Amino acid sequence: MEKNQLNLILRVLKKMYASEVLDNLVIVGSWALYFYQYYFHQGEYFPDIRTRDIDFLVPLPPKFKRNVDIPLLLKEFGFIVHHGGTKGYIRLDHPELIVEFLIPEMGKGRDTPYPLPSLGLNAQPLRFLHFLAEHTITIEHENMKLRLPHPAAYALHKLIIFDRRRTKDKAEKDSKQAIQLLQYLEKNSKDIREIKTIFSTMHKKWQKTVLENLKKLDEENLIQLLVKIS
Amino acid sequence: MNVIKGVLKEELKNSLRMKRGYESAIKKLPKGTIVFRLIREHKYYYLVSKKKGKLLYKYKGKLSNEEIRKYEMAKKQRAKYTKMLNQVKNQIKFLRKSLRGKESA
Repeated sequence: MEKNQLNLILRVLKKMYASEVLDNLVIVGSWALYFYQYYFHQGEYFPDIRTRDIDFLVPLPPKFKRNVDIPLLLKEFGFIVHHGGTKGYIRLDHPELIVEFLIPEMGKGRDTPYPLPSLGLNAQPLRFLHFLAEHTITIEHENMKLRLPHPAAYALHKLIIFDRRRTKDKAEKDSKQAIQLLQYLEKNSKDIREIKTIFSTMHKKWQKTVLENLKKLDEENLIQLLVKIS
Repeated sequence: MNVIKGVLKEELKNSLRMKRGYESAIKKLPKGTIVFRLIREHKYYYLVSKKKGKLLYKYKGKLSNEEIRKYEMAKKQRAKYTKMLNQVKNQIKFLRKSLRGKESA
């Protein structure tokens, strides 16, 4: 299943890349962790758990070179459109993969999907996502340029949101991913500098949340690292 | 273990949703296969479908290339969706079995 899933994800990404929509999207969620192995190069980083959904973050304001109907583009692979819940968030379902679009929620927020007519779908607005959109990296993989959140931003973001999760399992998964990633970054002095830069750009209140959550997780070493640099 | 169980539960929920999605997508597609009979060099089309194990031929008459293509596309799409549906059903079986399994000490 894993090989089929990987083949499908690459086919999906290539199709989107050829349609020039990928330049304005950031891959977030557990698939970003998979692609970090190509950023780290050393080949020592392997995320332990990954779900079937790939989330694309649309930075604000949404800008696309041309209109591309994504559901139609992916129909040939067998994806079907699902309108989720009462609010109608669009998901593209396939037995191997679930494609979802997210957008940063700003201001007082909205409880309806954010329409993206140029992509033929909508996106789910979520808090704190602009932090990921502000700190991105670009990797080259299979002749494509893929945008991902900086690993430090990914980990710090998870440390803000994990205790806001509705289910305990998801909170545990988020916190594990964050700690695993930070511990990996901690081994490299260049990455420590990056953590420092990114942590310093965070709102003071968020910094406090990160430190408090690390305390809950009993991660004294990481607290020391962040306190030293803040 | 909680994390894995949580992921499996979520995947089961996703697969159940997909099952409903593919079943509904298959239902929406026109049923049957388009065939023709050649009578005095003219093609007359029939829509062949199965009902209670019997083949039903529904006369469609002369069809435009566009209409024929629509039926052929629907046939291909139905085959694809049926394959996906079977895949999802297998996933559901596997996930239910995994979630029922005992945790080893």
